[in-house]
Amino acid sequence: MQDQVREQDDREKAANAYVMSLVALMAGLPLPIVNLLATFIFFMSNRKSSYFVRWHCTQALLSQFFVFILNTISFQWTFRILFGDLEFSNEYFGYLCVVIIVNVAEIIGTLISAVKVRKGIESNWWLFSPLTNLLVRKES
Amino acid sequence: MYIATNAKFFESHQIPFLRDRLLALEDDKFIMIQSANLKDPSTALIISIFGGSYGIDRFYIGDTGLGVAKLLTLGGCGIWTIVDWFTIQGNTKKKNIENVQKFLV
Repeated sequence: MQDQVREQDDREKAANAYVMSLVALMAGLPLPIVNLLATFIFFMSNRKSSYFVRWHCTQALLSQFFVFILNTISFQWTFRILFGDLEFSNEYFGYLCVVIIVNVAEIIGTLISAVKVRKGIESNWWLFSPLTNLLVRKES
Repeated sequence: MYIATNAKFFESHQIPFLRDRLLALEDDKFIMIQSANLKDPSTALIISIFGGSYGIDRFYIGDTGLGVAKLLTLGGCGIWTIVDWFTIQGNTKKKNIENVQKFLV
């Protein structure tokens, strides 16, 4: 009984990791670092939580890190075009399209994960879940 | 009765543990527990939303050091404020159980 109740609390905390990253993404636009920092602080504050919570915090953090790298490159590229020595090119627009597609996919994936985890259904992302399995240890 | 009126101040998985400890408690300690200063997690969340940038939520739950840090950094440039919207209720409940456990020992 007590384990079931604890599981409910854990589901809410784990789902919060995804929801929080979305809120931070919206609040931090156009700076790409804000959502990564917010997810990292959330991860640190839950580092003594259960395995389930830590696992989902880590998966959210890894996905944010991947998107952060893509967004930082596009941010710098745009900045250099607007204020520096570069000009608009086909490569730039191609890269921008890829970044937008990845960001939209990440936002949709995060939303789906938040809903699924809240219901107690496992949500394993391609590439990130095997990495998370390697990083998160069972014991806290 | 205590559990029924104060359940919202604690994590739900802590309730059975608290109930067992309260049943085994002496009467004089029970009066002390009733006077324990419990903070409302919903109030903490509202304070966090409106005054989180100034660390008022942390002051409210008794984390004075973190409150000062949050105030000086203007809510960690807004990032800490956002994180606390999602963690402040859990932190408040953790503080509440710590306050009650002082009397249960």
